[in-house]
Amino acid sequence: MNGRPSRRSLLYLRACGLLVPRYRRREWVEEWIGELEALSDARARGRKDTYPGTLGFLAGALPHALWTRREEWTMDGLMQDVRYGLRMIRRGPGFSLVAILTLALGIGANGAIFSLVNGVLLRPPPGVADPGRMVQIARSYDEAPRWDNWSWPAFKLIQSESDAMAGVEGFSGGSFLLGRGQDTELVPGEYVSGGYFRLLGVNPAVGRLLDPGDEVSPGGHPVVVLSHGLWQRRYGRDPEVVGQVLHVGGEPYEIVGVAPEEFVGVDAMGTPPELWVSAMQRQGSRGGSVLDRWGSSWFYVFGKLAPGVSLPEAEASMDRVTAGLRSAWEENRDIRALLAPGLGLTPEERAEGRRIFLLLGGIALMVLLLTCANVGNLFLARAATRETEMGIRQALGAGKTRLVRQLVTESVAMALAAALITVPLLSGAGTTLKALFPFSLAVPLAPDLRVYLFLVGVALLAGVLFGTAPALALARRDVAHTLREGASTGGRSRTRLRDTLVVGQLAISLGLVSGAALLGRSVLNASRADPGFDPDGVLVGFINLAASGRYEGQSLVDYQRRLVSALERIPGVETAALAGQAPILGGHARSTVAAADRPDDPRARFEAEYTVVTPGYFDALDVPLLQGRTLRPPEEEPERVVVVNETLARMFWPGQEAVGQELIGGEDRFRVVGVVGDVQMRSLRSPANPGVYYPFHQEEEPYVSIHLRTRGPAPSVISAMKAAVASVDPEVPVTGITDLRSGLSRSLSETRTFGIVVAVFAGLALALSVVGLYGLIAYGVSQRVREMGIRMALGAPGRQLVRLVLARGLVLSGFGLVLGLGVALAVGWALKGALFGVGAANPSALAGSAVLLLGSGLLAAWIPARRASRVDAAVSLRE
Amino acid sequence: MPRPLGISSLQILAAVRDGSTYGLDIVARTGLPSGTVYPTLGRLRRHGQLRAHWEDQRQADREGRSRRRYYELTPEGEAALSVGMTRVEEAARALGLRDRKATG
Repeated sequence: MNGRPSRRSLLYLRACGLLVPRYRRREWVEEWIGELEALSDARARGRKDTYPGTLGFLAGALPHALWTRREEWTMDGLMQDVRYGLRMIRRGPGFSLVAILTLALGIGANGAIFSLVNGVLLRPPPGVADPGRMVQIARSYDEAPRWDNWSWPAFKLIQSESDAMAGVEGFSGGSFLLGRGQDTELVPGEYVSGGYFRLLGVNPAVGRLLDPGDEVSPGGHPVVVLSHGLWQRRYGRDPEVVGQVLHVGGEPYEIVGVAPEEFVGVDAMGTPPELWVSAMQRQGSRGGSVLDRWGSSWFYVFGKLAPGVSLPEAEASMDRVTAGLRSAWEENRDIRALLAPGLGLTPEERAEGRRIFLLLGGIALMVLLLTCANVGNLFLARAATRETEMGIRQALGAGKTRLVRQLVTESVAMALAAALITVPLLSGAGTTLKALFPFSLAVPLAPDLRVYLFLVGVALLAGVLFGTAPALALARRDVAHTLREGASTGGRSRTRLRDTLVVGQLAISLGLVSGAALLGRSVLNASRADPGFDPDGVLVGFINLAASGRYEGQSLVDYQRRLVSALERIPGVETAALAGQAPILGGHARSTVAAADRPDDPRARFEAEYTVVTPGYFDALDVPLLQGRTLRPPEEEPERVVVVNETLARMFWPGQEAVGQELIGGEDRFRVVGVVGDVQMRSLRSPANPGVYYPFHQEEEPYVSIHLRTRGPAPSVISAMKAAVASVDPEVPVTGITDLRSGLSRSLSETRTFGIVVAVFAGLALALSVVGLYGLIAYGVSQRVREMGIRMALGAPGRQLVRLVLARGLVLSGFGLVLGLGVALAVGWALKGALFGVGAANPSALAGSAVLLLGSGLLAAWIPARRASRVDAAVSLRE
Repeated sequence: MPRPLGISSLQILAAVRDGSTYGLDIVARTGLPSGTVYPTLGRLRRHGQLRAHWEDQRQADREGRSRRRYYELTPEGEAALSVGMTRVEEAARALGLRDRKATG
């Protein structure tokens, strides 16, 4: 009976015991010591054959300890926590529903923004093989850095000189007139180089795609590849489509194949192309081919890195290309070929996208923080009711870590449930946001694995964020203390935590509310700003005569003259005019002009707005004539004349009469016959550029925008406009009809998008935090009913109690206000780029939001305050 | 849901049924390694097939040794054991073990 285990065995057992969860450790060690003693006894009694050796027996202690630990932390234990969490959710469905919906708001906001970021910035263009090896090649200049397209000769030179590339190809977007007679339509498409599809690794769905054999002789390849969408829409997925004839721009083209469904070109911006033709088929304007002209840049060029070549190496090899370009054409003196990785977005667009997404992401993050604070507060409030339960569990031997873990598991389960309900809403939200965007996106935005992983990540983060603080606060409480006192008193530290969370929510809402105010103010300012013309009652539509390929020279002038007179006959039209570009809406072009008296003076030379107009233009838009006269009909205007805007007149001839001066543009000289007011052609945000107006008949401009000043209701005039255009040539459609006023407000869509997103979030944020404040104060009142009763019994008037409670609401709102002013300034600073006519720190926006916040804070405190004043002294004391 | 019991779990349940009351006793009777027996005891206990209680301290003191933890079968344990035994017998028949024994 003296089988005491050796010191070494005991040491070993205690060491193994360290692996066992603390609350089970003592028992575990005790059991093993007992067993070990029994073993020594039995062996001492000489029954060595049936019993194992001490060493072999003790070896089992380590796996047993490991097993105990694993059981605690994994499957069984964790499943138990999850089951317990789900039970708690079921037990308080109202509480859980509110918490989950609130969380879904924060998580969903982040998910929606991320699915946009994913589609636009992270995901490579669909259907392209090996997108990671693709690079964009752009034209820049040492003097004036930019990111621009190439001319065809430049592209061919780059293609032959780029030895670091496995291939260099390119494309150019355009509109194409399809079909003849009644079923003509204008669709977006692309001119591509011969190896375009091969370099991108795209395989045909039907027939063949274009190949280098389609890039041999200018105008000699009337073949077309259809997009999958066009094939479906126009041919009902007819597999016999190959070999059929399709009229493109009035010319018969043979359909050779169909591109696969997922391939939508490589340009992420704009509408996806519906067809592809060889770049050899591109016609130059004013006759002649664009293919041998260095000065005409229209081709977007990209390449694929050769195997084993890194981006820096490829960049270095561009020096050779640059040198070749410089010696090939004299005006290329300081030209430079630049590289950027990836396809889809140019570096400038990418930077712009990143800026927008950072803003939206920041807003979404604020909403997430706010919802976490809000739900955290809900949990803290509930903690009071669970304190006894936790105390009992602790007394029964549950470790504190275990309790915290269990509470956090519960929060995470709720956050995951919230993430789950946002999933079906996500693609809808993505589409809505896409529609709100200031640019159109060709890329699909369907959520993919990355989006789902992101959602799970956000949910885990949120669960831990709002779950940890209440869990720690609960577990910190001393068991004995809790059981002795019951759950009547909330800890002081917990009250402070709840106060802090409410103050944080109020601060974030103030930031969002003031941001929404700034953006709303901007939209209002911009819609009231003077664009230099009167947009009300003006209808605009676009015609592309280049796509039909039938009009040039005199026939173009005749078409325009017939069109204007057809438009003028429409009832309700006061003035009809054509122009090469429409303010804000499109067709923008520039051309360099210089003052003829001093052509080498850099202050009298500028790439000015190039607008060709028919005589009625200035009347139609109501642009004021400041000096001289406007332009006249062709037969009265034999000389080459122009009208300039005020900014150009002041820039070129400061302090002099502009009328009578001469301009040089290209090979030609023009006499200035009039000066008109500035028109904001491109943007309502930036000041007007210097601009020149040319008579329509003296320039050959195939891109026509119709301007109609109308009296009557717009819908009847719109159909009359279509009919008038069709009466001149039934195969030339008019597109993009809109009234100038709504066009202007669309141009503010970035500001408006932010405005709507921020306003929606601000409203929800304010509502959430006010409800949070209300809950906190109401809880405070319910805890103090006894005290209130005593005060009443001692003769305190109800008014005083109301003041007492209101004061607490005011103090909390005040803290929120002070903190929120900082948040508001930061939000304003971040939104600066989207603001119009209002500073980032606008006093009235700040003051207005502050008043709104304090007002809602007081309201939130008012309701419990009134309840406090009605406390029945007798009842409250009896309780 | 507990999985169907493995052979070692059945052996251990059977040992407890046949009068082995503490870990070492079970190790000796079944011949299983201690690294298998103790975790299995823990799992059977968690699934409610065994019940454990500590020996009375006075009893241990009288015998001049540390306390032992004793195990006994619960009704669930008995049910699980008989289901398991049936399964083992069926498996043995399917493998033809019974027949060979009968003829041999």
